[in-house]
Amino acid sequence: MKAWRISFAASGILLGLFGVFRLLTEVPVGNLVVLAGWMIGAVVIHDGILSPAVIAVGWFIGRAVPARGRRYVQGGLIAGGLITAVAIPLILRAGQEPPSKAILQQSFGGNLTILLGLVAAASLVLYALRVARDTRNTRSAKTAAGAEPSPERL
Amino acid sequence: MLAIFFGTCFVTGLLSHYQYQPWAWLPEPASPVWLYRVTQGTHVITGIATLPLVLVKLWSVYPNLFRWPAVTSLKHAAERLSVFVLVASALVQLTTGFLNVLNWYAWPWDFVAVHRFLAYVLIGSILLHVGLKLPDIRYGLQARLPQADVLTETPWDQNPLAHSNAGEVPPPPTPALTRRGVLVAAGAGVGAVVVTSIGQTVAPLEPVGLLAVRQWNKGPQRVPVNTTAQQAGVQAVAVDQRWTLQVNGRTPFTVTLAELDDLARSEADLPITCVEGWSVGAHWRGIPLLDLVARAGGDAGSRVEVISLQQGSQFARSTVLGPQVSAALLATHLNGERLNLDHGYPLRLIAPNRAGVLNTKWLARIEVV
Ligand code: HEM
Repeated sequence: MKAWRISFAASGILLGLFGVFRLLTEVPVGNLVVLAGWMIGAVVIHDGILSPAVIAVGWFIGRAVPARGRRYVQGGLIAGGLITAVAIPLILRAGQEPPSKAILQQSFGGNLTILLGLVAAASLVLYALRVARDTRNTRSAKTAAGAEPSPERL
Repeated sequence: MLAIFFGTCFVTGLLSHYQYQPWAWLPEPASPVWLYRVTQGTHVITGIATLPLVLVKLWSVYPNLFRWPAVTSLKHAAERLSVFVLVASALVQLTTGFLNVLNWYAWPWDFVAVHRFLAYVLIGSILLHVGLKLPDIRYGLQARLPQADVLTETPWDQNPLAHSNAGEVPPPPTPALTRRGVLVAAGAGVGAVVVTSIGQTVAPLEPVGLLAVRQWNKGPQRVPVNTTAQQAGVQAVAVDQRWTLQVNGRTPFTVTLAELDDLARSEADLPITCVEGWSVGAHWRGIPLLDLVARAGGDAGSRVEVISLQQGSQFARSTVLGPQVSAALLATHLNGERLNLDHGYPLRLIAPNRAGVLNTKWLARIEVV
């Protein structure tokens, strides 16, 4: 295990330093400054804005959504949120290149709506199944309890 | 899983780099004709899938950002720095890669070079991270999914309540989504992205390509274009009736526009694959490159430079080497019609297992070396 750890770490450090070296020697300083800005900016936007926003939504769901439906709302939001994250650049960029390139020639806003509709429908179906199962369980528990009151059933 | 995705991108990316700079003694093979189509299609679709996966992964470890004290030792400081490099380079690599595929060049640098160097930094920091975390990874892979607690705020080896220290403990009851539930939901989201994007590479899935960047059936002659004649600045010169192809070698000669049709007797089914990941199979008619090379005094072992009418682009010329010399076609027709101007009229190169940008369009000159 120790040998593995050391070889992973050492090869990682070497490869990383090689990349840094190539960047520093082959990319103009001005561009490196912008690249550093992108890297810091990406972490700040992600850790400072995106993650807190997700946590805020989670907190809101915890208060606003009854326990039984909560996991379906959360699941739907995770799947839908990830799809939206990919779709946003497509929406912003659609239709900006010559048509013969056949690039981004769709109405991605509409397409995203369709996909989110499907995600919402799937979450609803799963939730409905859960409700149906719960109802069946309570009913059969009741009938069982009525017929022969056995403690294990309860 | 993420490590596999990143590794896949790294390997397929390096293969793509090799298209640009092959070693003379190991030229790109000409078969299978779909090799680059598969590797670069995989590169881009894996990259697109990795983007949302990384968001989920970072979200699951977000609490660690606030672990206190922030740094306990020099070693710990170095570890956190390496995690910063990992996260920053992953986010930038994935977003710029994706934006590049959308032809949204929102940065001043040369994408290809920086993307490659950043790939070294990223993969290096992943290897280092794996080295540091190997015990946790082993524990995580051994633990049963619902009970694993590798993602809590306290590292499992410092947490007396961790399952690995306390034995099998039932998972805490929660009305919220379980760990497995999160994975299922994330998998559904990423799966939807993959299925609706991959139509630009896998033709049968084109009809569900709700998020597909390219739609080949919307391109002229049912093939998308990457650089139009206008963008290349060749609209006028390419349609000039006095166009000729100059072939230089031991016995130089020229081919005129009128002679093209007589020479163009060969047909081939070859996919065209863009470095940006889209690809489509197509039917071509044209002149075997080897015919002209032989007439100029070369043979199948020659190195051939093909040069475009286009000026001032690094892709205005390319080199054909090794097996591709015998397999390449100088195309005049695409899918049964005269080559569209945006596809390189009057004459373009098309060779198997070759990146689209290297299939030079609007040819003006050929050098047989
Ligand atoms: C996840 C980590 C990634 C790694 C390690 C990686 C690595 C690489 C490497 C080494 C190259 C070769 C560059 C060269 O020719 O010198 C490459 C090319 C490329 N990658 Fe990635 N890549 C990643 C993610 C992505 C993503 C997410 C996308 C887009 C969705 C992407 C799109 C491209 C494109 C379009 C090229 C070809 C560039 C060109 O030749 O114009 N990559 N990648």
